[in-house]
Amino acid sequence: MTIVTQQSVLPQHTSAPALPVVLEPDEVTAARVEQLCEVIMKKCLWQFHSRSWDRLRQNERILGMTTSLLKDEQVDVSDPLDRCYWVDARYLAESYRERFEWFHDMSAEQIDHLLSALTERLNVLTVTKSLNEELTDQHY
Amino acid sequence: MPYHEFECSKCIPERLRHAVRKTEGEDLTSALPLGYLNTVPGSISERGCAYCGAKHVIGTPMKDVIHLSHGPVGCTYDTWQTKRYISDDGNFQLKYTFASDVKEAHIIFGAEGLLKQNILDAFAAFPHIKRLTVYQTCGTALIGDDIEAVAQEVMDELPDVDIFVCNSPGFAGPSQSGGHHKINIAWINQKVGTVEPEITSDHVINYVGEYNIQGDQEVMLDFFDRMGIQVLSTFTGNGRYDDLRAMHRAHLNVLECARSAEYICNELRVRYGIPRLDIDGFGFEPLGSSLRKIGMFFGIEDSAEKIIEEETARWKPELEWYRERLRGTRVCLWPGGSKLWHWANVIQEEIGVDVVSVYTKFGHQGDMEKGIARCGNGALAIDDPNELEGLEALEMLRPHLILTGKRPGEVAKKVRVPYLNVHGYHNGPYKGFEGWVRLARDIYNAVHSPIHSLSALDISKDEIPTDRGFVTRRMLSDRDLDPQIANRADLRPYSGRFDIIPEIRARRAERVANGEFVSAP
Repeated sequence: MTIVTQQSVLPQHTSAPALPVVLEPDEVTAARVEQLCEVIMKKCLWQFHSRSWDRLRQNERILGMTTSLLKDEQVDVSDPLDRCYWVDARYLAESYRERFEWFHDMSAEQIDHLLSALTERLNVLTVTKSLNEELTDQHY
Repeated sequence: MPYHEFECSKCIPERLRHAVRKTEGEDLTSALPLGYLNTVPGSISERGCAYCGAKHVIGTPMKDVIHLSHGPVGCTYDTWQTKRYISDDGNFQLKYTFASDVKEAHIIFGAEGLLKQNILDAFAAFPHIKRLTVYQTCGTALIGDDIEAVAQEVMDELPDVDIFVCNSPGFAGPSQSGGHHKINIAWINQKVGTVEPEITSDHVINYVGEYNIQGDQEVMLDFFDRMGIQVLSTFTGNGRYDDLRAMHRAHLNVLECARSAEYICNELRVRYGIPRLDIDGFGFEPLGSSLRKIGMFFGIEDSAEKIIEEETARWKPELEWYRERLRGTRVCLWPGGSKLWHWANVIQEEIGVDVVSVYTKFGHQGDMEKGIARCGNGALAIDDPNELEGLEALEMLRPHLILTGKRPGEVAKKVRVPYLNVHGYHNGPYKGFEGWVRLARDIYNAVHSPIHSLSALDISKDEIPTDRGFVTRRMLSDRDLDPQIANRADLRPYSGRFDIIPEIRARRAERVANGEFVSAP
């Protein structure tokens, strides 16, 4: 299996002097998280696997890769299961870049902060505060 | 929790938590009905049983198989394929249904001998068919007939046949969904890994949760042909028994309907390391994204892009023609299971209608999570509704159309709400780019049919207008439409054929004749 990296399709960033991390105010982050979440809810299916453990894994793997892709980092997809997560992550990263202009001005740290908040929100909606009573059913 | 209480169900208090209305500010942590529970006694709902879910929905779309119910003839009759799960080789699975015809005496004295004789008779009557599935029913499960032993005896006597046993009697779950689960697990336990397939491509998938309703699967096979992807098996529409025994050799499971087939995908992931990719096969954007994702997985994205470009250029002007004429149309999206969430968003975005309600007969809370997440604010979500609740919802919501199956659909017609059959389809296939236009065309024809105003007149008492002439759908749909839109030269109504499947089959046959690649010969 070929290892695909973002370097092959996206421009390389030149090294720049380290700048202090400036995060967006909480209300901006919260509003953006809702926008990002809406795309997942309307356009994706991977967040609704049947059990809590499965959903947590999906959320973590796909949003983790989405974060890397948005930061133009390499993603190792040599394992077929990872490659499948990467497919959903790439769709999401491209959708975000296409829909939200403000993504293009964000630093890596800001992207980390935002996507981390998004993962937390998605976990709340689909796992920790979900009303789905089957999520903890032992019989898969 | 924004529960909705139906007037007609006040006497069944348990029903309260089965309906919610999603409003502004609500999300899945506050708006989700209960689901996949036993139907409350006294609530006459529209569900099928677990046997039906295993046999009718999952098992019998397989095309080269004798499907035999071990039970009374009524069980098999009521699950006889009437849902247009067609196949490309003569529709054997639609023409015939088989039962061991168990009667009272067999319940008392046992029916294993009867079953064995029936299996032998069936193989003798159809000597070209060498594969058979047996479905347990309530009565034979309760008397403890050992179907596995009978099947093994027959396979020992007839070495060229293979038999699959599905132990999913009617009482084995709250609804047909329980049967989906059982047959998934039974198939992977008994059959997957027992055949080694011929691999013809570097890109190999199982196409899972697809039942070839009016040719949906064949539409997708045409795309997979063009992408160079081998479809090792289809679970199960237009699928072959032995292909499904070879599912363990695929590189990717492409999953359409989750609740009828996700179990086997999950097991294939755990046991064989095959990833599961959930896709949407309906609607231009979701289908395009799905083809693109499959292309990305195999590194052949260009082949997907080519299809998307060609199909969009051909069919988008026709989809737009309907969208302009369907804006603001209120629809109840009341299918059985997966179309609830496959369609909830895209039917609004691409066909222009407003989804005012979603329901599921047998879906799980997971299905409702997807559906509620995808529909807009104000939509009423109902789990396992009974007939009176359906009627009350129609009266309250005043939809222009309901998209549902034939049981609730025929009820709706009696209160003069047009319905479109989205189970067996009116004029499908609805999958694919052209299929999506066919759905828009069917919605348009249903909503703007002049019959609805004519049927409101009672010739025994109403005055019949004689000053009006002939009315067409176009006259009704364009009456209030901006002339600039109505006369747009770049848009046109559907221009495809009445039946598109013969054309697709001819195209695939030509590829075979020319020695070109085909996804599933």
